[in-house]
Amino acid sequence: MAILEIKEVTSGYGDVQILWGSTLSLEKGKLTCLVGGNGVGKTTLLRTVMGLLRPWSGTILFEGRDVSKLPAYAKADMGLVLVPEGRQLFTDMSVYENLEMGATNQRARPNFAKNIERVYEMFPRLKERGGQKAGTLSGGEQQMLAVARGIMADPTVLIIDELSLGLAPVLVLQLFESLKLLREEGMTLLLVEQNVQLALAISDYGFVLAEGKTELEGPARQLIKNKHVRAAYLGL
Amino acid sequence: MQQINILLASLPDGILLGFVYGLAAMGLTLIWGVMNVINLSHGPIIALGMFGTFFLFTRLNLNPYAGLIPVAIMGLLLGVLIYVIAVHRVINAPHLSSLLATFSVNMIIIGLGTAVLTTSPYNVDFSAGSFKLGSATLLGTRLIAALVAMLFTGGLYLFLYRTRPGKFIRAVANNRSAAELMGVPSTRILALSFGLGTMLAAVSGALIATFFPFNILSGGSYELKSFVIGVLGGLGNPIGALFGGLILGMIEGIIPAFLEQSWVPVIEFGLFVLILLVRPSGLFGAKK
Repeated sequence: MAILEIKEVTSGYGDVQILWGSTLSLEKGKLTCLVGGNGVGKTTLLRTVMGLLRPWSGTILFEGRDVSKLPAYAKADMGLVLVPEGRQLFTDMSVYENLEMGATNQRARPNFAKNIERVYEMFPRLKERGGQKAGTLSGGEQQMLAVARGIMADPTVLIIDELSLGLAPVLVLQLFESLKLLREEGMTLLLVEQNVQLALAISDYGFVLAEGKTELEGPARQLIKNKHVRAAYLGL
Repeated sequence: MQQINILLASLPDGILLGFVYGLAAMGLTLIWGVMNVINLSHGPIIALGMFGTFFLFTRLNLNPYAGLIPVAIMGLLLGVLIYVIAVHRVINAPHLSSLLATFSVNMIIIGLGTAVLTTSPYNVDFSAGSFKLGSATLLGTRLIAALVAMLFTGGLYLFLYRTRPGKFIRAVANNRSAAELMGVPSTRILALSFGLGTMLAAVSGALIATFFPFNILSGGSYELKSFVIGVLGGLGNPIGALFGGLILGMIEGIIPAFLEQSWVPVIEFGLFVLILLVRPSGLFGAKK
C-alpha cells in the first residue's frame, strides 16, 4: 500500500519552473531512495511535498488524503517529517532543545520520553552533549542531531535529504545502519541522495529524477544493474 | 568638587532611567531578532503606552502600576494587529518594504494621535515619594520603574527559555523553515513576537509617563535611543539591550556633570556611529 503518493507535481521558484512532472510513491514500511545528479530538483520536490513551496499542479496524497495545499506545520502533525538538506538545526539552541523542538507536533508530544530514550540509544553522543549549543557540534554530530530531531517528531514517513553530504564514510555507514533499524521498526523512509551507489545499496526501491521529472523507477537491486543508471550515475 | 556632587546626584537617576530605556530597546531588538524587521512604529507605541497610563489614571483612577497590566495587554494586541495587517505581507520582501510598512503605521498613529490628543503636553500627576541616597535624591517613581523594567526583563527571559511558546519564538528566530517543518505554525509565532515587542514598548512608555510629561510625539526620542541601545547591546539580543540601556542611562547621568545637557544626543549618536564602525555586532554580540 502506498503511504505517500506524488503525482505529476510541477513547481518552482518565481517564474523559474524546476519540477516538470515528478511522480513518486512510497510503500509503507519500505526504505525508498530518490537519486539524481546535482540540480535536478530533488530538494525542490521535497520542499513542495512538505508545503514549504506550493505545487503549481499535480497532487500529493498522504495516507490517501490530498495534502497538496496544507502548510508545512500541519504535515508534521500528520506524521510526515523531513530532515532537511544542510541539517537546518536551531544552531543557537542547545542539543536538548533541538530534540524538544523536534517533538513539537501533536502526535509526538505524548511519546517524548520514549523517543528521546530511543535517539539517545542510537546516538549516545547527543546525550553527552545535551547542554551544548547545536551550532558548536562537529559536522557528523550535527547530522546525527538532524536525524535524531526527525525521529523525535515520531514520523510515520521520514524523509532525509542528503544524509551523506560532507560526512566521513564510516559515519555515513553508521547512520545508514540506524536507518535500517528504523525500517525494521516499521517506519517508512525516503532517502534522497546524490551518492547513488550507496543509496541504492541499502534501499528496497528507487526512483531516478532527471531534469525535474521521474526518469526511472524500480527495485533498487534492478536499478543498480540498469545500464543507463550505471553509465550516468555510477560512472561504470 | 562641584562636578562630583552633580555626578553623584545625576548618575543614580541616569542608571534608573537606563533600565527603562533598556526595556524599550528590548521590544525593538526582539522584533528585529525574530523577523529582521525594524519596527519604525516603535516610538508612537511607546507614546500610546504613556497615554494608556494617563487615561487609566485620570479617567478610571487606576494606580499607574496596576494600569501596567491593561497597557501591556493592549500593547500585545495592538502589535499582533499591526503584524497581521501591515507586516506579514512584506515579511519576506526586501527590508525597504517592511521599513515603509512600519513607517506608515508610525504616521497613522501620530496623525490620529495629533488630531485627537493634540501635541500639547500631558502629565500623570502621580508621586511615589522620594528618598535620599547619599547626596542624591531619588524619585520613587523612577525606582519603581527600574524595578518593573527588571521584572519584565526577567519575565521575558524566563518566557523565551522556559516555556514552549518562548522556545518556538527562539526556534523561528533561528531557522523559520526548520521550525515550520517541526510543526511550529510560524506565522502565529511571528505575530506573537511582534506583539511582545510592542508590549515592551508600551510598558516602557507607561513607566516613563509616571515621571516625564509627554505628548503623542514623545516616543520618537525613545525610539532613537532604542536604536543606539540595540546597536550597543547587539541587535536581536534582548539581554544585551538591558545592558545597553544601562550604559546609555549612565552616559546621560555623567554628561550633565561636565557638559551642557544639549551634548547628550551628540555623544549618544557619536557612540552609535563608533560602535557601528568598530564593533557592528554590538558589545554583547548580535544574533547570528
